[in-house]
Amino acid sequence: MFERADDVVERVIQHLRRPVAIDPGLDARVLREIAQAPPTNRRGWPLWSALAAAAVLGAILIARPWSRDETNRSDLLQFVFVAPRAASVSLVGDFNDWDPARSPMQTAQGVWATAVRLAPGRYRYAFLVNGVDWRADPGAPSARDDEFGTPSSVVTVGGRGS
Amino acid sequence: MGIERVESSDAELVRRVRAGDIGAYGALVSRYRDRLGRYAVHMIGDHEDAEEALQDSFVRAYRSLARCYDPARFGAWLYGILVNRCRTTGARAARRHRMFVRDADALNGAAHGDQADRVEWTDAIERALARLAPEYREAFLLKHVEDLEYEAIAELTGAGVSALKMRVKRAREQLQLYLREAEHV
Amino acid sequence: MILAALVMVVQVAAQDPRLERLDPGTRSAVSAVVDSARGDGLPVEPLIQRALEGATKGAPGARIVAAVRRLTVDLGAARLALGTNASAAELEAGVAALRAGATPEILAHLRDLRRPPLTMALSVLADLVASGVPADSAAAAVLALAPHARDADLVEFRRAVERDIALGAPPGAATSIRVNAGAENVFSGTGTNPGTVPRPRRP
Repeated sequence: MFERADDVVERVIQHLRRPVAIDPGLDARVLREIAQAPPTNRRGWPLWSALAAAAVLGAILIARPWSRDETNRSDLLQFVFVAPRAASVSLVGDFNDWDPARSPMQTAQGVWATAVRLAPGRYRYAFLVNGVDWRADPGAPSARDDEFGTPSSVVTVGGRGS
Repeated sequence: MGIERVESSDAELVRRVRAGDIGAYGALVSRYRDRLGRYAVHMIGDHEDAEEALQDSFVRAYRSLARCYDPARFGAWLYGILVNRCRTTGARAARRHRMFVRDADALNGAAHGDQADRVEWTDAIERALARLAPEYREAFLLKHVEDLEYEAIAELTGAGVSALKMRVKRAREQLQLYLREAEHV
Repeated sequence: MILAALVMVVQVAAQDPRLERLDPGTRSAVSAVVDSARGDGLPVEPLIQRALEGATKGAPGARIVAAVRRLTVDLGAARLALGTNASAAELEAGVAALRAGATPEILAHLRDLRRPPLTMALSVLADLVASGVPADSAAAAVLALAPHARDADLVEFRRAVERDIALGAPPGAATSIRVNAGAENVFSGTGTNPGTVPRPRRP
């Protein structure tokens, strides 16, 4: 079938303009990296900007949305959630009786974090934003059986990691 | 980790980042991730290399945000960093994961017959793009896929407008040739 | 009279105080299910957590009770498949795998292939299905990796598959390709992380 040259190129262009799936976890990796290395303090950057970045570093040092320290077999997991406009974020799940008061997350410039020590097992959890808005963790597997109509995520702590 | 919806302007977000609000930078990353990611994927070819280049570019931009003299044009400035970063990635990486480079739409779209035809078409485009000289591919993508004006591309790449027009023209001709060849293989 | 009072004391003591967050009618129904499960030797903590999740999320009492009852039944099915020695964590992960579409025979086969705990293997199976991998492909993958892979390897495998899917790969194909890559690494002795992404991401 004959097709004009310009039509071929237009088809290529339309094809290339389609969205490309980029890992949403890239956002978290960027934030972790910049938290660990604040910008150079020049041209009027306030010094406390660098200090703020250092504070974030303290909050997300483990550097994964949730992760397990495999080296010392610790079951301390760090949960991180970015919500620049939130007034409060709580981590709620099977590990804290789904009680928003038990694991309030601390913020440093919109990056919310908290750490929870977990025994081996499979846990459902979610983030509660401003006390009303349920959010799943986009960096973790989703819980398929959301019987209560709001999204939840799943984290599994294994019994033999290495 | 979730990203909250943010509707502030680039300039406002840049101002907040400069004031120490790292979360505001997360909003900028979220805003530009997919569009810049598309450019990096098409330019570099290998998805993992592209994501690495993208991540690197965001980090470099943050570290040098003081040199973003016009925060309202943060996006264009960021493009410039990514364009440079893609160039330094060098020749298109060996396509280790070529079959995973395709986007979901390419596999599920309805534009070109059945799935086998779509996959073949996607592969043909990838191969044709890969055969272009990097400066041709760069100019073609920025002009026709990212829809930038020649003046803006000149600013990003350092090339003159007339040279860019020539590169785009050559890229179009070569793409057409390569795809015609593919049809006859 | 004294006996009745003692029975009441025992009942009150048996009722988990955390369930007081439920309204009286729901609390009573949930407590009955929990007591029954306890009597059957099933772990009750997952049941209590499911009820508390419903309470915190403001779900109607009837839905909470139904969810707890369903979980009890599924925990029983998981125990039947995994054996009476299965831990509470394994049973809960087994429930997730069963709900994802794994058959009891697959769970039993996994138990035969892999030394315990099976929590991570079961969980990865369920998570793969949640990512769009057909249940039979997910099960085949986990069974293929189960004899040799560490828990950390299984997690990496799941992440690699999810990433490939996000990049447009058909879920079934992504799974089988990653399994094959993992098997090559294990059996060639060139690596110990089956299914890991060939080049690790930067942190």
